Amino acid sequence: MEKKWEELTPAEKQEEMFNRWLSPKDPQGNDLKFQSPQAEKVYKERVTRLKDAIQLKKLPDRVPVFPMLSFFPAFYGGINTQEAMYDYEKLAEATRKYVLDLEPDFQFGIGLATPGRVYDILDYKLYAWPGHGVSPRSTYQCQEAEYMMADEYDAFIRDPSYFFTNIYFPRIFGKLEAFKMLPNLPTTQEIVFVGPNIIPYGLPPVQEAYKALFEAGAEALKWAGAVGAFNDEMTALGFPAGGGGFTKAPFDVIGDTLRGTRGIMVDLYRQPDKILEAVEALTPLMISMGVSAAQMAGNPLVMIPLHKGADGFLSDEQFKKFYWPCFRNVLTGLINEGCVPLPFVEGSYNTRLEIIKDIPKGTTFWVFDATDMAKAKKALGDVACIGGNVPTDLLSVGTPQQVKDYVKNLIDTCAPGGGYVVSNGVAADDVKPENVKAMIDFTKEYGVYK
Amino acid sequence: MAKQWKEMSPDEKQEELFNRWFSPKDPQGNDLKFQSPQAEKAYKERLTRIKDAIQMKKTPDRVPVIPLPNFSPAFYAGFTPQEVMYDYDKCAQAWKKFVLDFEPDAQMGCAGPGPGKFFETLDYKLYSWPGHGVSPNASYQCNEDEYMTADEYDALIDDPSNFFSNTYLPRAFGKLEGFRMLPALTGILEIYGVAFNFIPFGLPPVQESYKALFEAGAEALKWAGAVMGFDGEMAASGYPAFLAGFTKVPFDVIGDTIRGTRGVMLDMYRQPDKLIEAMERLTPLMIKMGVDAAKMNGRPLVFMPLHKGADGFLSDKQFKKFYWPCFRKVLMGLIDEGVVPFPVAEGGYNSRLEVIKDLPKGKTLWMFDTTDMARAKKTIGQVACISGNMPTDLLAVGTPEQVKDYAKKLIDDASKGGGYIMANGAFFDKVKGENLKAMVDVTKQYGVYK
Repeated sequence: MEKKWEELTPAEKQEEMFNRWLSPKDPQGNDLKFQSPQAEKVYKERVTRLKDAIQLKKLPDRVPVFPMLSFFPAFYGGINTQEAMYDYEKLAEATRKYVLDLEPDFQFGIGLATPGRVYDILDYKLYAWPGHGVSPRSTYQCQEAEYMMADEYDAFIRDPSYFFTNIYFPRIFGKLEAFKMLPNLPTTQEIVFVGPNIIPYGLPPVQEAYKALFEAGAEALKWAGAVGAFNDEMTALGFPAGGGGFTKAPFDVIGDTLRGTRGIMVDLYRQPDKILEAVEALTPLMISMGVSAAQMAGNPLVMIPLHKGADGFLSDEQFKKFYWPCFRNVLTGLINEGCVPLPFVEGSYNTRLEIIKDIPKGTTFWVFDATDMAKAKKALGDVACIGGNVPTDLLSVGTPQQVKDYVKNLIDTCAPGGGYVVSNGVAADDVKPENVKAMIDFTKEYGVYK
Repeated sequence: MAKQWKEMSPDEKQEELFNRWFSPKDPQGNDLKFQSPQAEKAYKERLTRIKDAIQMKKTPDRVPVIPLPNFSPAFYAGFTPQEVMYDYDKCAQAWKKFVLDFEPDAQMGCAGPGPGKFFETLDYKLYSWPGHGVSPNASYQCNEDEYMTADEYDALIDDPSNFFSNTYLPRAFGKLEGFRMLPALTGILEIYGVAFNFIPFGLPPVQESYKALFEAGAEALKWAGAVMGFDGEMAASGYPAFLAGFTKVPFDVIGDTIRGTRGVMLDMYRQPDKLIEAMERLTPLMIKMGVDAAKMNGRPLVFMPLHKGADGFLSDKQFKKFYWPCFRKVLMGLIDEGVVPFPVAEGGYNSRLEVIKDLPKGKTLWMFDTTDMARAKKTIGQVACISGNMPTDLLAVGTPEQVKDYAKKLIDDASKGGGYIMANGAFFDKVKGENLKAMVDVTKQYGVYK
């Protein structure tokens, strides 16, 4: 880099992030060694294909295919979801088989299965997971509740990390119960304040909670090692990772795992100003969360799963007032740091398309679920790359021919002019391998730009 | 309590905190057993005297007298400051002798020196202390520096606890260096973020830092046992513990131990808006700090050392723009919860008196150092109890006769109609015992209201 990062424009930063993605590094920070010149060539073609689709500057060589699969690789490799969450080697083996057999343009590694042992150690209550509240063959399930009470907005807004550590964690992690006793660290100021403030760290229940956290951290480290090694292996073979960072729309942070759906819906009427204040407070944190992970991964994509703003969840007026402004600020914050936000729009967004098109051109990649793709192309086609919409039920119970027909229609509708990526609509688990294969193969064949 | 705390008015809350002060508890939460009926009587007389002076509803029987020492009791008992920081029994012994010999109307507690070994365990860099950077015979000394750099205001504003744990503490405490690797805990939202964000807790440098903190916490706990036992013992002997806790003015939080004097002075010109935003952010934290301490200890008085707002540090305009607004918000926030803020204006406050008098009557206690007490009486003294101004140099090198004359003049100037407490101006170290005795004795004779 000749210019310093701070001096680059958002467009230059995005270019730099793509360059880093195109030149992957090994864990020591040296250039990653590809397995063959062919693997390197294919890797760069794949990243460039998606880059062209996203930037809307030129036509890609063909429509990229970007399957978003959560537990599918496990099923493909013959293991169940519980095994996938507890045996990193088995999951790597299953995922490797999926990637090498079906050759998608992008792969999501083994990180989405997430490590069950960490949750066991911490007595995680926010989710049920395979073999722990749901069947060993199911995916995990969020257990919505009011983990933040209606009268706790101020505590959250005033000091988010304090709220998380001292109030939220003791509720969602049984083993971190004693974090209730932790001090308020910003009051560690003059010498006379310090001793009293640090007392809680001398208490046995607090120390026990940290010991559980250290144990969980050691397990997470082991898991992260396996995740990283698998990604490096796939990269060396020519398959880029589909994800850089992760963040959320501020409204969903509150509505998903703090107040829950019921809580936030009631708050929309009872304390709308507090919601607005809280989403404002979350905005810089959500930007920094996405940016730091993308920077660390050397990959501009920042996945943002969207939930409570879908059609039917909020009125247009509510969407415009509560959901979109801070969501847009998060998008802009990410874009300004060279990231490519990847909003993953679960449900449908037909009523939101005219609103969300107010974003800078060539900076975002939207994956839609049940949204009308013709409408999406019309509304967003000039400013953003879109993808998604191959239905999970079709992949699950349809035939390869039906999948091909569906993808053909999508390509015919959305691909002209570029800015389109074939992908399924919601993360798929137990679907038919031949249908996933049909989606990938057909895109490679029919999606070529002439 | 008949009414719930939340239903009480600020007046009722203040009355309730005074009531709790009148009925001190032992560590088990039972009524403290006084040493004798006389001790109980003396305790209640002393408190009534202080309460009347503060509330300004009626004239007390006489002017209360409360010497507020720094390391003075150590010297008086023949110990060095170093000894009382490392031997908590010696500390309690020295402070006990000081209280029993001078018989003040309230005592400051023996927490001031703080636990020396605790600071060593954490490699505390923000201060030098006796035998560790300054002579064993000296008081501690703040090592001002830019512990927050000029470009870090946003990080502090966005998430104060995150800034403190991950950025500030590793700079102020050598042994907490590993905290630099800590995650943003607000990233723990959906199941995907849990293991990823907890990875740092598996890293040895992070675990080592926590181990140092556990060790320090155990030491602080030991120290707190000695210190709190002391307050109970003195109360049983008839001497009320004066303070419930501390808090600070937001401007001083930034200007003392975060940005330092030089830093905050530059920021007033270079980034005034950031400075104001940060102070606004700190305001609720500083209110909570004081309120929590008052409720926990069952006493209304919360000490606030005032530094960078003194005469000569800021222009009138700067004081009104930067210092006073958030200071007043903290005062009002404390008052609304029944707390009696006890601002201690080190240096001179002559040019501030007209500004600070904008407060409700009978809700605060002010201690002045070099401020003109006759002027203070005419301004802030009309709405608040005032105290202080007995010069440390006079106590150190003057004669008992000179001290008596000075004290009489103070009583003449400032005690009319009540609302005055005899006290020194700055927290003192090495002074003459006979001078302290003179200050106490003359107040008890000459300060009687007729």
